[in-house]
Amino acid sequence: MTEVEGRPVFTERDMAKYPFISKAAEYMKPLDIDINELSSSDYDKILERAENRIKEAILYNLVNKEWSNDAVEISSFPIAVMIVAAADDSFLKRRYALAEAKRVSDLLKDERDEIIMGIAERFNWKIRPARIHVGSLTYDFALHFTDFLKNATFIQDKKWKLVNRLVSNGEVYLTKSETSRLLEEEVRRYVEGKLDTKVGLLPQSITDRVDRLKHLFMEKRGKIRFEEFPKGLVIAAFPPCIKKSYDTIASGHGLSHIGRFALTSFLISIGMSVENVVDLFRSLSDFDERMTRYQVEHIAGGRGSRTKYIPPRCDTLRTHGVCPGMNEVCKRIRHPLAYYRRKLRTIRTEAPGERA
Amino acid sequence: MKNSETKTFIKRKFTEYYKKYASTIPPPTSIEKREFGFLFEQEKIMFRHKSFRNVDDLREFLKARVPSDVYYSGAYYEKPEEEMEEKVWLGADLIFDIDADHIPTPCNKIHDKWTCNNCGFVGKGATPEKCPSCGEARFGEKTWPCEVCIESAKRETMKLVEVLMDDLGFPVEKISVSFSGHRGYHLHVESDEVLALDPMARKEIVDYIEGIGLEPEFHGLEKISGPKLDDLGWRGRIARGTYDFLLKATPEKLEEVGLQKRIINAIETHKGRLTQSWKERGPWGIIGIKGSTKIAQLSAQSESVKIDTVVTTDIHRLIRLTNTLHGKTGLKKTEVPLTMLEHFDPFKSAIAFRQGAITVLVSEAPQLRLEDETYGPYKEQKIELPAAVAMLILCKGAAKVVE
Repeated sequence: MTEVEGRPVFTERDMAKYPFISKAAEYMKPLDIDINELSSSDYDKILERAENRIKEAILYNLVNKEWSNDAVEISSFPIAVMIVAAADDSFLKRRYALAEAKRVSDLLKDERDEIIMGIAERFNWKIRPARIHVGSLTYDFALHFTDFLKNATFIQDKKWKLVNRLVSNGEVYLTKSETSRLLEEEVRRYVEGKLDTKVGLLPQSITDRVDRLKHLFMEKRGKIRFEEFPKGLVIAAFPPCIKKSYDTIASGHGLSHIGRFALTSFLISIGMSVENVVDLFRSLSDFDERMTRYQVEHIAGGRGSRTKYIPPRCDTLRTHGVCPGMNEVCKRIRHPLAYYRRKLRTIRTEAPGERA
Repeated sequence: MKNSETKTFIKRKFTEYYKKYASTIPPPTSIEKREFGFLFEQEKIMFRHKSFRNVDDLREFLKARVPSDVYYSGAYYEKPEEEMEEKVWLGADLIFDIDADHIPTPCNKIHDKWTCNNCGFVGKGATPEKCPSCGEARFGEKTWPCEVCIESAKRETMKLVEVLMDDLGFPVEKISVSFSGHRGYHLHVESDEVLALDPMARKEIVDYIEGIGLEPEFHGLEKISGPKLDDLGWRGRIARGTYDFLLKATPEKLEEVGLQKRIINAIETHKGRLTQSWKERGPWGIIGIKGSTKIAQLSAQSESVKIDTVVTTDIHRLIRLTNTLHGKTGLKKTEVPLTMLEHFDPFKSAIAFRQGAITVLVSEAPQLRLEDETYGPYKEQKIELPAAVAMLILCKGAAKVVE
């Protein structure tokens, strides 16, 4: 990398590592490349590498950091993106984006500060080098807290909560490896965005590869299918927050707005009918059938936006005081529905008769 | 309950107010992108999804329709008049609500009264979770704005301002604070950086301010060392909270928070050394990691700011508009310059009805102060009161007008 007027200019080598930066980003519009040219043998190497990027993502959840030819490496990325976009499978898209992002954060960990800064600025982060020592820690960068939040909320670990960071004057202090980890999130979302491009008609040589990779992915995914909830409520599998809200309502007592929302969306999600949920609220002294039905139907996705709502995540319920405290199972999950799914499995193996 | 004559009277006074003062109502930034909502005395539900092209249209509307309460969205929409799903959300200010209801106050809310909707049991103070008589949990409440409550809310607001400026780095001109017109304060941050924040990000800000999920180990608490008094952010807050805690703690208090006998003894024997220790590594090594973690967590609780968590995370929230009347008090929502906040007195500055006297029949009201005079308490009493005092009691539904 060379510096021109303080702004980093990336070398071809850098672009091979980080194909989404500056000049390389132009390659990111796959449809601008003359697709029919790609079938000629000049591009065989590029296609080969593109296919391998995706294969590695499918099989090992990562993309190899080794390569021989910078030009091939750079072009293979937008082609891979085009292939995954053409495969049009949301699971594959997520998996591929994550693998590419992991490759980037792995590389960044060993980079000089200037490169990390350059990449961060590519995503419009407000970041500056700040080598400071606090207690036994040494930080490398200071990042505006809003840029931090845009990415850190996707990482589920206590250390990434804003309240557990050193925050001062609008900036969050980060080590180099933490900065790389945060950039991984930014890259992941960036690649996911690119994968949502509509792809037009592709030449045979490429659609063959698309089909091959799709097949490989199906094979790998095998039985990993979304598990439907069984019919009937298993109250014994309710997480403590839902159990408490359920008992409160069932005994005719009131609940906070968010408590009602959590309970209703939970019950709808595990398959309870709108009718039965409305009945549950019937014992409340201020029960208003029309209003309750409207709200329950809305949550069930039967009105307006047609969005079917799911309950808030555990930490959101904690923020708003719905969580009555965690038990052992809670410590291993982050969402009330995950609790239910997990608990159902253990109940079914332990005591198959216990149904409500 | 307000009878119809009282309602008509209140509406007449509100009409006078808006005729005279509608011009003082400041337009929210980008008024044409905001949703407005109104409550009217006669109707139970909010009249919302309304928008105005400019402030003059809004002022005319208020003069003509005279709502009991006026709200606008913290959010900006492409089409604010449409149903929620069609509005097209463009962003939202960062909003905080500090209400006495969420703060434990030294007055214990003794001025408030609640009635069980089921058995009619009446109690004073903060509303309990369950009725002590029948176990039901539905209440009618009559709350009053009290000096102690509002002062507590003000202290919390000042703490919040400090976190927003020192930690989150917002400059003074991006922060505006207002008295809500009832029992608390509203704080708005209008800044480009916050507009796009999603509810998850806003939740993280709430957790930061309330200290929810805080773990001392991430703030430098180790076996023999820990945060220092002048450290930045939560590190410093934990240290200062711990300093105060140790200075004031009695053996009983230490036991109450669940510290082991051994640790309590260590703290008692080394009180002097603990205070001295802040000059070096702090008291952490002397107390031990387990006790230190517990004390640090408690200290974080006392340093945290009590806000209404739902208001901040809701990106579609409606908030009362500045210089409009509060239907339950007849006071107005009043903006307070940050430099004046410490000495701000809502019972002087938020008065909307300054002229004349009104004769009312008060059923029951606690002692109240407006300007420098105190009034009441009253019970089943006919009395002539200054307009602002009478309006407060009337709006609370605790009096009738006497012709």
